[in-house]
Amino acid sequence: MSITDIFSLALSNLTGAESEVTSEKDFFATISPRDVLFFVIGIVIAYVLGLIISHHLRMRMSHRLKKDQLDILTGFIRVILIIIAVGISLPGLLDLSVTIIIICIAGVIAIIALSSQKVISNMVAGIALLYESPFATGDYISTGGVEGTVVAVRLFSVRIRTGEGVYVHIPNDQIYSTAVSNVHANVARRFEYRVGIRYQDDTNQAIAIVRQLLEENPYVLENPAPAVYVSDISADSVVLSIRAWFPSNWQLTKDDISRTTAILPNVKDALEAAGIEMPYAQRVVWFANQPGHDESTASKKR
Amino acid sequence: MFISNLGDVFHHVFGRYPLDYSTTGPDITIRLSDAGSLLKYERECRGSREERYLGRSFSAIHIYPVEPVNLPEPLTQYLEIAFPPVVLPPGAEQTVYVKFPVEIGVFLESEGKQSPLDVFSLMPAKFSLYGLPSSGVITRLYKSDLFPEIPKVDLFREGVMALTLKNCRTENAKVSRAVFDSSSMCLYYGSRVAMTATLEVFSEYLARTSFTDTAPPDCPNRAIDLYRTSSFALTSTKGYFMEAGTS
Repeated sequence: MSITDIFSLALSNLTGAESEVTSEKDFFATISPRDVLFFVIGIVIAYVLGLIISHHLRMRMSHRLKKDQLDILTGFIRVILIIIAVGISLPGLLDLSVTIIIICIAGVIAIIALSSQKVISNMVAGIALLYESPFATGDYISTGGVEGTVVAVRLFSVRIRTGEGVYVHIPNDQIYSTAVSNVHANVARRFEYRVGIRYQDDTNQAIAIVRQLLEENPYVLENPAPAVYVSDISADSVVLSIRAWFPSNWQLTKDDISRTTAILPNVKDALEAAGIEMPYAQRVVWFANQPGHDESTASKKR
Repeated sequence: MFISNLGDVFHHVFGRYPLDYSTTGPDITIRLSDAGSLLKYERECRGSREERYLGRSFSAIHIYPVEPVNLPEPLTQYLEIAFPPVVLPPGAEQTVYVKFPVEIGVFLESEGKQSPLDVFSLMPAKFSLYGLPSSGVITRLYKSDLFPEIPKVDLFREGVMALTLKNCRTENAKVSRAVFDSSSMCLYYGSRVAMTATLEVFSEYLARTSFTDTAPPDCPNRAIDLYRTSSFALTSTKGYFMEAGTS
């Protein structure tokens, strides 16, 4: 008995069929046009049902889920429906038992899983990302040294457009195992600026000017209130720290350039208009044997 | 045409007009003029200028007060009005009047439907955060005094909201702010721009605001809701639940 015969016998026993080896010609002869029609109709029904369910999900869930989440969800449902349709109609078409179909599918899945662990890993990470939703399309994120706007969240990867317009494709498992900073996760975010003024300038006046400027800026949130205070008396200047909260969905809060454009130039102009200047780095050097030098007068002059 | 007072301006601003409309006042200029095969829309307000070209197929222009949450850019749909604190005894119901900023919307009519063209305002805007950064909402903030009777207002700058405060608690309730969802706002205009709203306080941290769609006696005209003219608009009928307190 040949190996083929042994395999055929085992297969026949497994399916409960008689131990008769069916030839390839006989096998195709057993497929009737009715079975083919049943198979095709099953697939078409599953496809159309998938479209209908996707449409209804989009109509009803679009205000609850983000577009990319809906894309993945509807895609997943459509694939599942097609698999179910194939599972129901294929045994009738090929005259095979459900057990054999399941064994075949399991075998194919095992082969795919072994040969493409990375792909499976990305898919699982994609599902995890979908469930946890650390970000969504349109969010500005920073992860693994890449910073930019999320263009698409797919089952296997995330696509990001950086501030320079570069398109970056990141596998999901890489994102899932890396820290992600999402600018848009909270509705407001705080920025801090530091401005140095001269020692002889009136600190309270400078603080009042900056406060007034923040008050007039519509994007500086009233609550939490902005804070302006002396945070350091450095070698060259009195340093004012300015802490202000902005709406996260304001487009200018995305990057550093925009932040400074919004606030710092106006602070500089307002302070200079009031005669308050930002000093250059400076050092006063006194020589020990300089005529007229006295430690006490030197410290007073400082 | 120069219009000397706001009462005159009102009769030339809010309403439906043909496409040769123009008005000029001390603060607002709106002009529609021929530009060959197109129409030219020009608007000036508080030093800002807007200029657009329009197709000839539009049938009319509408100018109405709109929900005051669109400027300087539509970052939020919530309007927060902060006012001096009011302490209400248990079960009390009290109607007070507060002011809110007016934004003016310009709509184009085509085949019986209105679509937004422009929004402008004479009032400066300020945003705020209601709640925590992680769970709160960004609001368009407006600080108002509290009035026992309808206050006099500059028609194009401020509107008047009749706000009924209800204390549903068994203890005193302190109220100093109200947050409204603009998707269910009902704006009326006449001698002033008006809204009617209710604030129900359920606990220290929970209250609900809602609007009443009834016209005040001196404001019989219903304005077009900018929010409802958008192609995809979900409106809230249950009002907005304030889950971060009322003071």
